[in-house]
Parts: sequence; C-alpha cells; structure tokens
Amino acid sequence: MTNLFAYIIRRLIMLVFVILGVTILIFAITMLLPLNIRALLYINNPQHFHELIEPTIKAYGLNDPFYMQYGRWLSQVLQGNLGTSAYFSQPIAEAIAQRWPLTVEIVIFAAPIIIFVGIFIGVQSAIHRNTPIDHASRVFAVLGWSLPSFLVGMTLLAIFYGWLHVLGPGSLSDSTRLYVSSLPHYVHYTGMDIFDGLLNGVPWISWDALLHCILPTVTIVTIDVALLIRVMRSSMLESLGKPYIITARAKGLDEKVVIYKHARRNALIPVATLSGMLVAGLLGGLIITETVFGFGGLGQFAADAARNFDTPAVLGYAILSAVVFVIANLIVDLLYAYIDPRIRLD
Amino acid sequence: MRPRIAEWRFMLKRIRQSSLAVAGLLILLAFVAIAVLAPVLAPPYSSDPFIVPADRLLAAVTPSPTPPTTAHIFGTIGSDQGQFDLYYICIWGTITAFRVGVLVVAASLLIGLIIGTAAAFYGGILDEVLMRFTDVIIAFPTLVLAMVLAIAFPGSIPINFSMVMLAVSLIVMFALLAIRPDRRLMLVDLLIIVFSLYSVFSFPLNVQLGLSQLDKVLFAITIVGWPGYARVIRGEIMRVKNEDYVEASKASGSSDFRTIIKHILPNSIYPILIVATLDIGSIVLTTAALAFIGVGAPVNYADWGQAISRAQSWISSADLIIKNMHVFVIPGLFIVFFVVGWNLLGDALRDVLDPMMRRR
Repeated sequence: MTNLFAYIIRRLIMLVFVILGVTILIFAITMLLPLNIRALLYINNPQHFHELIEPTIKAYGLNDPFYMQYGRWLSQVLQGNLGTSAYFSQPIAEAIAQRWPLTVEIVIFAAPIIIFVGIFIGVQSAIHRNTPIDHASRVFAVLGWSLPSFLVGMTLLAIFYGWLHVLGPGSLSDSTRLYVSSLPHYVHYTGMDIFDGLLNGVPWISWDALLHCILPTVTIVTIDVALLIRVMRSSMLESLGKPYIITARAKGLDEKVVIYKHARRNALIPVATLSGMLVAGLLGGLIITETVFGFGGLGQFAADAARNFDTPAVLGYAILSAVVFVIANLIVDLLYAYIDPRIRLD
Repeated sequence: MRPRIAEWRFMLKRIRQSSLAVAGLLILLAFVAIAVLAPVLAPPYSSDPFIVPADRLLAAVTPSPTPPTTAHIFGTIGSDQGQFDLYYICIWGTITAFRVGVLVVAASLLIGLIIGTAAAFYGGILDEVLMRFTDVIIAFPTLVLAMVLAIAFPGSIPINFSMVMLAVSLIVMFALLAIRPDRRLMLVDLLIIVFSLYSVFSFPLNVQLGLSQLDKVLFAITIVGWPGYARVIRGEIMRVKNEDYVEASKASGSSDFRTIIKHILPNSIYPILIVATLDIGSIVLTTAALAFIGVGAPVNYADWGQAISRAQSWISSADLIIKNMHVFVIPGLFIVFFVVGWNLLGDALRDVLDPMMRRR
C-alpha cells in the first residue's frame, strides 16, 4: 500500500516537470514571433498602432529576455493567477472553466461508445478471422481511421442541418440560448447544459443540449472507434494464439469461457492503455470537431488562442492538458495493475 | 544476401495474396498517375504550377463558389481574392499531398532514427534527456503545438552555412572521440572540419532560407512528429541490442557504427517502416486539419486542405452549406482515398512483416 502511495506521489512530482517543460517550450516558440505581433494582442485600437506600440511593449515587458518574461509568468501562476486573456477579454481560468464542461459533455457520450463498441467489434473480428464479419470490420476500421474529422463533421452538418433541418451547429440553438440568458435564476451548476437544465427544472433545455451533442459525438466515434477496433483485433488474435488458450481448449472448457474469460481478459491490457490515452486526448479538447460545429469548448478555445497569438491563454491550456495527460497516464497504470496482477508498480 | 531476397519474395507474395493490400496499391498507383500526368490533365498557366489560375470573368459575376459547369467541371472556389478552379486544385493538390507526406515522414524518420538509435545504444544521460523531451512533446496535443509552431516560425531565416557545417562536424568529432572511434569516419569528419574552417574565413556561405507558408507547416509537423519515431526506434533497438549477434559483432572488434548499421538496424527497422507508411496518410490528414483551422498554404495554392478550409465560414448557414457542398466534398474525397490507400498498404505490410502473425 505504501508502495502504491509512493508511486502516485512520484508520478505527481513528474507532473510538475512536464508542466514546466511544456510551458517553457510554448513560451520559447512564441518568442519567435516578431515583437510587433506580440504587442498587437494587447492593442485594442489598431488605428493608433504606431503611437501605442512603444508603451505596450514597455508595459508588458515584451522586449525583456526570455527568462525574465517566463519568470514573471511563472511567479504569477504560482500565486494562483493564470492571467487575463487579451483576446477573450476575460481571466484565463474563468474562460477555461466556462468552456471545458462543453468538451466534457461530448466526451461523456463519446468515450463509452468508442470503448465498448471498439472492444466488441474488435473481439468479433478476431474470433471470426477471415470471414465476412472480419473483412467488413477491417474495411470499416481502415476507412474510419482515414476520414478527416472536418469532412465527417461538415457532411453530417450538410445532411442534418442543411438538408433535413433537424440538428444544428453550436452547443445550444439560438432561441434556447436567448431563453437561458433571459432566465434570472438559471444557475450554471456544472457548466454542462444537459445537467444544468434538469437541475434548474427546465428539462427542454437539457433536451436541446442533448440534440446538439449528437453530431459531434457521431463524428468522434466514427473516427476513434476505428483505432480501438484495430488494436483490439490484433491483441485478441495474439492472445488467441497463446499456449494457455490451447490448454484451456484441451481441458474441454466451453468455447465461450475460453474466449471471454481467458483470451479477452488478456487481450484487454493494451486496449486499456490506448483507451486511457484516447480519453485523455479527447478531454484535452476536440480541436477540429469543435471548430466544425462551432461548439465553443476547450478545443476551440485553444485553436482561437493560438491563431490570435494569445500566449497566456495557450499556456493556460498547456497546463490543463498536461495535467489531464499525466493523470490519465497514472489511472491507466493503476488500471493495468488491476487487470494484470503480474504487473507490479515500481 | 540470399535469405534476405527470399524474405522479400515471400513478402511480395503475401502482399499479392491480400486483396486489401492490392486495393491500397491500386489506389496509390492511380494517385501516382494523376501526379505524373498533372501537366496534361490540368495545364498550368504560370511558371509555378502550384499557383491556381484565377478566373477573372467569373469573379466579376460572383465572389461566391459556383457549382460544377462545363468550364469548371468540379466547380470553383470563391474567395475575396478571386475564383479558383477546383479541378485544377484537386489535380495539382495530389503532388502537394505526396510531397507533404513523404517529406515530413522522411525528415521525422531520419531525426528519430539518429536520436532514437543513439539513446538506446548509449543509454545514460542522452537517453534520459531524450525520453523526458518526448514526454513533454507527447503530453501536449500535437495539433495545437504544430499550430503554434507554424504560426510563430519566421518566414525567412538567415543561415551561415559554413558555421553550421563547422558546428555539426565538431559535434560529430567530439561524439566520435567520446565513443569508440571509427577511423574512416573520423578522417571524413576531419576533412569536413578543415573545409568548413577554410570556408568560414575565406568564402562564408550565407543562405537566406525563405520558407513558404506550407514549408512552415511541414517544418512544424516534423518537429512535433519525430519524438514518436525516436520512441519506437529506441524500443526496437533496446529489444535487439543485447542479442548474441550484437555481442559477437562488438567482440570481434567492429566499430559501433558498423554494429549499428550492419546488425542492429536490419533487425529492428521493419516495425518503423510500417509506422512510417501508415503515417504518410495521417500526416496528410494533419496538414489538411491545420489548413482547415486556418494555418496552411495561401488561398491560391493547390492544396486539398486549403480548398476545404474555405468551407469553414458556412457552417452557421443551412442554405450555404448545401449550396457549396462541392467545395468540401470533392477535395475531401481526394483526401479520403489518398489516406485509405496508404492505410491499406500499411495494414497489409504489418500483417506481412510481423513475425508473430505472418506464418499463421
């Protein structure tokens, strides 16, 4: 038990270094931008660019050496302040807290579907190797993995929005959003409208939010399930060829027990890692999917911040995504030890 | 040599037997044909064939995209800079796609190969630094990192080539002295040092390296991509480096360089080749995704992703998205087929080359 505790502590210490590394890297890259462009972010009034540029550079210390600027940012962060985003004109922590739930909302639907469907099809494909079931699933996997998410998203939008007029872009329809902002006592408990609507006793807001999650979820599932099918299939095939499967069959076990108890359990180990990384990746923001649907989650936040040279906002995003990544890694490792008792954490 | 030729024969036979692999190869051959025949299929108007000719007459009529007609069989892409023929973009975009995929994979593979091999073979501090660095790059969403890099990277960098050559050859010399030296390599390196020293003082080679918007994207994807290769290569070499034949090679007095080239790499390169094949497709996807969010080639450049990025502004209008469907569906299909081709081939290669799976 103490071992486990020490292991977790060690991983969390590593997290600090990963965050430092990622932020130094991002900071160093943005220092490549010309001084004028870095100053442009803080100038609200481009007509007076020439008069404003000198004072802006001075006020934000943009001409200071790298370590001074980074040190200033770091000491600010250590005091618990991520700074204010000039592009979004709101504190970065607040901006992220507002947008992340929207991403989580999609992941809540997409992740279980991806994992369970991926495992199911992968296993079926492996036990029916070289039959039409296997061929179909392989073609589907290759196709899904080859589809660009923006193409899937745009096509879905064209069909369900442009043609059928049933579902639309955004996280809520315009009329609902207007209605929400007109409600005086509407509380954003979770930031996810699906739950907030129910908690505030306005179920049709939840319904509207749910409808808007469908297309982004379908987009992500189509693409990411393919990867899981592929890994599950090859892992299952490998597992089915192991001597313990021959032993299990030789001692006359029921084929169902052989496949689901012996083969699948062992085949799940690499899939567990992959699923963990996949979910971590999704939680870090669905950059393209959110942009296609104008969903306004964390991914779109990151893309907008990067496009507009908003360094503090990108750094705030970098911290969050590093935390998500390392914690997901940790959970995967713990899960690993649970699935496979032979693995010892050290 | 004979067993290796037999291996290749066996591999080709297995590839021919798999209908998916043949389908992948046929798709890729079709794209190669399009790329080779591009000057015939879509005759260029200017000296740079990748600059899409603008239709001024049509631009005077309407600035928005027009659906397929006989003059423009795939329709046109409207923009504030003119009307561009989608057919031309799709044809010449094929060459762009090949260039993007192959260049980025080759560059990442080369960097990953050198660094991954060095880290695995020598271990110690080099290995530690490399692994922590890859941790950092992998911990951050690649798309955002590539985006920040592509945006921030300067469009033109002055390089004193003589100095670069001198620095690199000095580092190599130190490395050669620190590890077990290979005399021939040291001689070559010494010659390069002398030449570059002479060049620094008498004829400095100054190069102004101009990078186009697309070059910056390629550069960014390479920087983001090589750590993945380095990791795979490191893992593979760790696996084989304690095998008896490596020990035998070292014991018989071969230099490290010879041991790596002759014995370690041939036994560990195949999984990496598969990763690389599968990656050509996914790099084209990444480039297109970056173009979609606005980081890519200029509007009039023949690039599939760039054409699709035009579509981004219509998502909030149900009418426009239907009316202008051709702008994202047609180049989108080109991308899908291109990537499917590479993925089918990579998938088949994995089945054929994986020693655990192949003979079953």
